[in-house]
Amino acid sequence: MSAEPKAAQKPALAHLFWWFMFSQGGLFAAVLIPVHILVQGVLGPLGIVRVVDRHYDTWISILGNPIVKLYLLALISLPFFHFAHRLRYLLVDLGVSAAKSTPVQVVFYGGAVVVTLVTIWLLLTVAPLSLG
Amino acid sequence: MTAEADTAHARTRTYKPAMPAGWWLRKRHYFLYMVREFTALPLALWLLWLLFEIYRAGRGASHFYAPSSTPFVIFSVICLLFALYHSFTFLRLAGVILHFKVMDKPVPSALIVASQFGAWLVASIVIGAVLIGFGR
Amino acid sequence: MADKRITIRATRFDPDKDTAPRLQSYDIPFPDESMVVLDALNYIKSHVDGSLSYRWSCRMGICGSCGMTVNGTPKLTCSAFLRDYWPGAVTVTPLNNFPIIRDLVVDMEDFMQKLKSIKPWIIRRQELPLGAGEHRQTMDQIADFRQFSQCINCMLCYAACPVYGLDNEFLGPAAIALARRYNLDSRDQGTKIRLPVIAHSDGVWECSFVGECSVVCPKGVDPAKAIQQTKLDTSVRFILPYGNRE
Repeated sequence: MSAEPKAAQKPALAHLFWWFMFSQGGLFAAVLIPVHILVQGVLGPLGIVRVVDRHYDTWISILGNPIVKLYLLALISLPFFHFAHRLRYLLVDLGVSAAKSTPVQVVFYGGAVVVTLVTIWLLLTVAPLSLG
Repeated sequence: MTAEADTAHARTRTYKPAMPAGWWLRKRHYFLYMVREFTALPLALWLLWLLFEIYRAGRGASHFYAPSSTPFVIFSVICLLFALYHSFTFLRLAGVILHFKVMDKPVPSALIVASQFGAWLVASIVIGAVLIGFGR
Repeated sequence: MADKRITIRATRFDPDKDTAPRLQSYDIPFPDESMVVLDALNYIKSHVDGSLSYRWSCRMGICGSCGMTVNGTPKLTCSAFLRDYWPGAVTVTPLNNFPIIRDLVVDMEDFMQKLKSIKPWIIRRQELPLGAGEHRQTMDQIADFRQFSQCINCMLCYAACPVYGLDNEFLGPAAIALARRYNLDSRDQGTKIRLPVIAHSDGVWECSFVGECSVVCPKGVDPAKAIQQTKLDTSVRFILPYGNRE
């Protein structure tokens, strides 16, 4: 029990930044992800609708579009900062107080950074940039 | 602080109950909160699958196959349910956090929430149209 | 028809004699439908067991003294009607997440320190000279912070908050809501002064928006809303260029 007021309190800018990324990532995840799961994960595989990723030529063609590349980067990368923050705090809620430590923060947020880098690399290398 | 107050404070022993590990099982509201937090995991897994789909495009036409297996569809349905729960809870709570005034009158939170769901609907229609329209 | 009775189970803990709290059962008459849990405790103390210890004062939901856990939910015992629990038993335990001093009395010191740390008073860079008269405020300016000013410091929100329960360092709902009350007050110029405490790593960022604080608040303060809005305002303040200026 702390009887004395904390000395040297200062704004935790890192916490601020990760919370901000969490909130933006959550918005992107909430607004964009469900339709992808519905169309690409359920309706397409069940054969109910045609989907752009069910044939190689249509998939590789759309992946070449620069706007699509930027969209996919936002779709995948930003939500991962949301997931990283939320899953780290899920561990805290389950009693794993070590989840507040810096090494664990590096693992989770670093993981989101890794996903971002992998996504950028894939989007740049998988399909040639085409404006057609 | 007087000497009496000092000894009185020193004599009193307080009892601090431990927080039970299953605290979130004790109330429906706590449980639903944990479900909401948990949605991050299935969503992350499904997005990793999408990343894998993008990777597969780079392996060439001969290796390509359209995703069709039953386990995959079941996985997607489960993820979709979690995704919908995430969207509903997140966009509803956006109405709590966003606050601004138009012409000195605060915008009602119901309107802000409606706009968030409206944006979700419009985005879904547009993206759905692209995903389906560019297929064959 | 036999007179109605109700069973009250209350926590007993004598720090000089007991190693751990235990529940003691009391079977008391329930003659009046308007009786609240506090009435039951007062009846027990007056007629059954004078050693039962608990805090109370106004008995009308405004002083914030009588907060306890009633059947698992933090409540003001003056506002919890026995008829809502009867014929089941009513289990009254001390407010969650606080150290127990004796029976139903908890140690409030942590909350008091946190409340003080956010400086819950009007902070001015320069006081108005007396001759200038009072601070003028429009009804709209009051409406900006009115909801958050309703807090009676009853600590039910701290009892409901699992984040505070898991980590007592968390600043907590009421303190943050009251900080926002002053930050939004047009007479106040202290937002930047409160910032180091609010935006500390144990401040708003620890909140994961469970929202139970707002559910249990007896005055409709909605501390969860206050916290989320503070997170956004604080983030924007640092992200916008020239944002962190008064």
